[in-house]
Amino acid sequence: MNSLEGTIVDVEVSGNLSLVCVEVHPKTIIKAIVVETPESASYLTKGEPIKTLFKETEVVIGVGEVSNISMQNRIAGTVKEVHKGTLLGKVVLDTPSGTITSVISSNAVEKLELEENTTAVALIKLNEVMLAKI
Amino acid sequence: MMTIQIQKQLDGPEGPMRLDVNIQVAPGEFVTLYGSSGAGKTSTLKILSGLMQPEAGKITVGDKVWLDTSKHIHVKPQERNIGYVFQDYALFPNMSVKQNLEFALPRQGDPSIVKELIQVMELNNIQQKKPTTLSGGQQQRVALARTLVQQPKLLLLDEPLSALDLKTRLRLQDYLQKVHRKYLLTTILISHDIGEIHKLSDRVIVLEEGRVIRQGTPSQVFVNQDLSGKFKFQGAVLQIEKNEVVYIVTVLVQNQMVKVIAQESEIENLKVGDAVIVASKAFNPILYKIE
Repeated sequence: MNSLEGTIVDVEVSGNLSLVCVEVHPKTIIKAIVVETPESASYLTKGEPIKTLFKETEVVIGVGEVSNISMQNRIAGTVKEVHKGTLLGKVVLDTPSGTITSVISSNAVEKLELEENTTAVALIKLNEVMLAKI
Repeated sequence: MMTIQIQKQLDGPEGPMRLDVNIQVAPGEFVTLYGSSGAGKTSTLKILSGLMQPEAGKITVGDKVWLDTSKHIHVKPQERNIGYVFQDYALFPNMSVKQNLEFALPRQGDPSIVKELIQVMELNNIQQKKPTTLSGGQQQRVALARTLVQQPKLLLLDEPLSALDLKTRLRLQDYLQKVHRKYLLTTILISHDIGEIHKLSDRVIVLEEGRVIRQGTPSQVFVNQDLSGKFKFQGAVLQIEKNEVVYIVTVLVQNQMVKVIAQESEIENLKVGDAVIVASKAFNPILYKIE
C-alpha cells in the first residue's frame, strides 16, 4: 500500500460523496473521492492532517508528455528501482512527496524503457485513493 | 479403514437430540469434526474411545470389532489403543514432566519412547519441572507427549488448543502435525478454529444436531458460504505466497477465503494466523446477481 501524508485543503460535498483534495507536498495535490461526508466522518475538514492510501497495482506509470487523459492525480518523480518478473514488474519512484511503488506488466516496463533514473509520472485514479485519519 | 456407525439419544442445547452418524476414517488420515456446541462431536469421540455407550452401533477398525451392540461386543477403552487429549490437561502436579511421561508408560513398554518424545516435543529444558510452574502451552505439550508415550494408533483431540493464545496455538499445531506424521497416527480433532482446520486436516466432517450434514476438504467445506454485508472485513491470514514481484495473501473472512495481492513491505510483519482487516473502496467491487 502506498501511503502519502498531507493536509486536507478542500472538501467538496455532493449527496453522500465527497471530493477531498490533499496537499501531500507544496504544489502536489492528491484528490480522492470517498463515500463519506464531513457529517459522517469528522476528519474531512480543511487543515486536518490525513494519510492517502492507494494500492501499487492501481498506479499507472507515464513517461514523457502525458496529456489528454482523465487522471488528475499526477506525481512526477525519478525511477529508483525496477524489478521484473515474467508477467509483472515493480517500479519504485522517488518523488518530492515520498516513495511511490507501482506494479505494472513487465511488458510495459520494457516498452517504456523504465530503468534507474528515468523520469516518470505516477498517475492514480481518484476513486482508488483511500483516506486514513492520522 | 475405521467405520463408525453409532446412534444415541442425547440432551442437546435445544432439548433431546439423536446422535446418528456413520463415518469412515482411513488409516493415517487427519479428520476434523466441526459444528456448533451440542452437535454431538464430543459424544462421538467418547463413544469411539469406549468411555460412553451408544444405544446401537458398530465400530470396526480394520478387521477388529470394537463395538457391536447387536452382538454385545464392547472392547474396553484401555484395549482400544487410543490417545485422548482434552482442553484440560490434568497432569500429576507432584511429578516432574519426565515422571509424568514415565508414569504413562505401560508395564512392558520400552522406556526409550519417553526419551524420544522429550526430544520430539522439545521438552528437554522443562523435563525436571513440575507442571504448575509451566505455561498453558507447555502443559499441553506435556499432555500430548504423555498420551503418545502409550504409542496409540488413534489420536483423539477434543479442542486441545482452544484455551491457548494464538501464538502458542500456532506452535502447538506444528507439534500436532509433526507427531501425526512421525508416528503415522490416525487423528480425529474437534476444533472451531477454521485456520487451524485448514492447516491440519485432510478432511472436515460437519455435524449438526447429531448428524453429518457435510464433509470434504477444508476448502470444499468452508468456501461458497453465504455472502456478507459490508465491504470491510476482519479475517485471518491462511497463507502467504510469493508470486513474481507481488505476494498473494489468502485470508479467511468468516467462512470465505479471499485472496489479496500485497507488497513485501505489507507482509513483513504478517504471518499465518494473524488477524487482519481486508478493505477496499466501495468503488471497486462489482455486484453479480445470483440467479
